[in-house]
Amino acid sequence: MKRSWIIVVGIIVILAVFLVSQYNRLVFLETNVDAKWAQVENQLQRRADLIPNLVNTVKGYASHEEQIFTEIAAARSRLLSAADPRAQMEANNSLDLALGRLLAIAENYPQLKADASFIRLQDELAGTENRIAVERMRYNEAVQDWNWTIRRFPTVLVARLFGMEARPFFEAAPGAQVTPRVEF
Amino acid sequence: MGKSLKALLCVLVLLLTASIAFAALPKPVGFVNDFAQVIDRRTQEELNAISEKLKDNQGIEVAVVTVVSTQPETPKQYATKLFNEWGIGGPEDSGLLILLAVEDREIQVEVGYGLEGVLPDGKVGGILDDFVIPHFVKGDYSKGLLEGTKAFAQALAGESYTTAASRNPDLVGFIIFIIIAILVTWLARRSPSGPGPTGPLGPRGTVHRSPYPHPTPPMPPIFRGPKGGRGGFGGFGGGRSGGGGAGRKF
Repeated sequence: MKRSWIIVVGIIVILAVFLVSQYNRLVFLETNVDAKWAQVENQLQRRADLIPNLVNTVKGYASHEEQIFTEIAAARSRLLSAADPRAQMEANNSLDLALGRLLAIAENYPQLKADASFIRLQDELAGTENRIAVERMRYNEAVQDWNWTIRRFPTVLVARLFGMEARPFFEAAPGAQVTPRVEF
Repeated sequence: MGKSLKALLCVLVLLLTASIAFAALPKPVGFVNDFAQVIDRRTQEELNAISEKLKDNQGIEVAVVTVVSTQPETPKQYATKLFNEWGIGGPEDSGLLILLAVEDREIQVEVGYGLEGVLPDGKVGGILDDFVIPHFVKGDYSKGLLEGTKAFAQALAGESYTTAASRNPDLVGFIIFIIIAILVTWLARRSPSGPGPTGPLGPRGTVHRSPYPHPTPPMPPIFRGPKGGRGGFGGFGGGRSGGGGAGRKF
């Protein structure tokens, strides 16, 4: 009688230790995903901050290209007001496309292309695109780690128990790989 | 069977070479890593001197790297990878990587997190336009890299790195060493309690003995020059970067 009690208590203790350690590991991984996403957000914000300057510089030479300016402004405000990662990703992808078009338009204005502040802004923009690419890669790695762990047995049980969910990958919009480049 | 087998083989070979290319990041040999062999010796020594000075004075690590090509990756992707693999920059992430991909005809400058404030992308691009590209389009990689590195060093240190200062540090050190040696012997001979002309310094004429090789030269690090430089590299300090910087095709 006494002996079976000890066995039951032992099993409960082992289960509790297992649960706690798995839970802690999952929390660590989930925090990692959130931290990496925060880095992505930083860079998205950085780009959003660059856009007004860029648009103003282009306006100085190509004021009649109204349509693209409103398009960019709309995409930018959608990005800034997006609440969750999924919405941010979508808004970011449409901003990517609009920016690509803006830079394509800029190609038609030789004076604009030679403007010193436009060149500097293009460098800043290109650098930010590169930063976004790097942070996106690091975020996706963290997500892969996370999604794999919570689907695996036995962590899947703990994840289900605490309602932990898979996170979305951040994929670039198709056709948005137009990193602006200053060429000579 | 022949066709599909051939195709399969092609894919396999492609995958294999791709994975080899991805895996094989070179190891750093110093601050200057001229893997494409386009920098002349003298420039290498000057570049090394600039890097050493920045490292000694401010803890900033500047790596100059030339490769033939970065395919299949873009030079930028390669630069970011190399930067983080080597860990250029100390614990403050204060590193700078200047990467020239000769056959891709592209230069990429990767700025560590810690230097993004002093070297914003626009500034990096401006330095490339003003100091590097004019020499590159003429095919003078040595000059372009040297002038560019000097401009970056100047931006980082807020001081001027002129050619004269780093031209022949050994000679300057040598002359100062001789002057000090003459002074010391002269003082020793004048001093009544000194060892006198036949002391440990030996008979008169010791002064003319060449100071090379001097095991512990009593010179400040600024005079170390290229000689001390080659032994001075002890690996990079674990810096990180996140894609900042700028690049140019030429």
